[in-house]
Amino acid sequence: MMVGAFYNPHLGAELAAARNIDHLAMADPPAAGDRHWPAIKQRYTLLLHDYLGQLSEPLDDRAIERARSLAGLYDSPWVAEHFQCLHTEDGTYNLNYVFPPLYTEEFLARFVTNANALKARLDQPLVMENIPGFFDVHASQMPEPVWLRRFFDATGTGFLLDLPHVWLEAHYRGLTPQAWLAEFPLEHVVEVHVAGVEQDRDLEGPWIAPTAPSDAMLDFMAHALTRCPATRAVTFDAFSPSLTADVLFSSVDRIRAAL
Amino acid sequence: MNDRALQDDVIRALADAPYRASAEWRGRGLVDAGKVERFARFLARHFYHERIVHFFKYSRALARVTARWPEAVLRQPGFDALLATAVLGERATAHAVARLVTAYVAGEEVPYHKDLLRYQEAMMVVEAGPRVWRDTGRDDDRPAVVPPPSWLKAPSCSSWSTTCQRCCPSCCNRGQRPPRLRGAQRASSWRARVTDAWRWHARATPSLPWCASPMARVRWTTWRARPVFVPAKSRRRYAI
Repeated sequence: MMVGAFYNPHLGAELAAARNIDHLAMADPPAAGDRHWPAIKQRYTLLLHDYLGQLSEPLDDRAIERARSLAGLYDSPWVAEHFQCLHTEDGTYNLNYVFPPLYTEEFLARFVTNANALKARLDQPLVMENIPGFFDVHASQMPEPVWLRRFFDATGTGFLLDLPHVWLEAHYRGLTPQAWLAEFPLEHVVEVHVAGVEQDRDLEGPWIAPTAPSDAMLDFMAHALTRCPATRAVTFDAFSPSLTADVLFSSVDRIRAAL
Repeated sequence: MNDRALQDDVIRALADAPYRASAEWRGRGLVDAGKVERFARFLARHFYHERIVHFFKYSRALARVTARWPEAVLRQPGFDALLATAVLGERATAHAVARLVTAYVAGEEVPYHKDLLRYQEAMMVVEAGPRVWRDTGRDDDRPAVVPPPSWLKAPSCSSWSTTCQRCCPSCCNRGQRPPRLRGAQRASSWRARVTDAWRWHARATPSLPWCASPMARVRWTTWRARPVFVPAKSRRRYAI
């Protein structure tokens, strides 16, 4: 199983020389002036993990061409997108932050149709990442894990399981992370994300942060991996200019040790 | 109302504080109002953190000299007060946030900082809508997510003339010739047009050191403010 991290360009020199990392997820394309990019590209397996679009609407040809060209540039073994609907259909409001769709039949049909259309245009398999909800919308018609299971059964796409997202949802629902995780379609998991969480002043509770995963999160990861037999990669999910090389490399080492 | 419209309503409530406070939204009873308020505040801070870091990058670089980081305003009472009326992506909100940053960052340490702040503030306001700045995969900065609203359309610098007062009135008023822009920039990139206008403005301003770009001017300032290092050989020479 591969253990990796996100490509953080400000740590390009350290990452180019690192030996304990198998792959890098690419949240942004390399900048034109990134002098470490050639070494990074040569050294690592790269995973496309960019914003391609929101699958509540069909991706247009331009977005699909962009996804294809980035996947080709990285020679990515799979292409990742998120279960998100973060801007209004007319583009008037945009949260600029991952936000889940309503878990309804209509949204399921939209995501299935649009994911199948995207999948058909890609040369690599598509994987989809779960997005945490801080609150429930009463219009949802089914629990998130049921919605996800039906999506994966209908599309045959892979599951990028973000464990901190599951952990946070369990926290805000008053459940144990293990109990909430058991509801998800874990047999579809291809890649797992692990990261730290920190207290947020606005949310008055924990949220995702570019920090090292706690021991409890690593235990949760070890538990999850025993239930995800098809997992091929674990990625330390931190992408921020404030991330230090120490935190990145020690987190990857601790993830590897916890496997 | 279909589910997509309902989702749009939730997104609007998160992005638009006055709508969130309205009877129309509250009457729907779709969500826990307290949780939505907390999440909306979290989103607003995230939204403007990203924008301040991007649009006030020159002032961030100058923080080495000024010791005032633009994004620090996000944790100040002024920004908290703004949250009650903030609409993410709206020009008025962008303007209010930019004014907070400008008021906090402004100072006497850097002679051209006032001009730089005006430029950064203008860029933040004009780019207030939904944009992806880091990359669009096309070597320009047109949005990748959704097209900009019509009001974002910039005045075309290819039409610079003595009658063009919109791009840079102060330059036109001095009767100086406006910049000639490279063809690709003129055709495709709003930012390139504004940046070129700024470069020309910088060269035309005799009180400021000539440099190629705002960042070069910032680098020049921070270089001047660096601690003076005397090489070891020189130290030995001066030791006696």
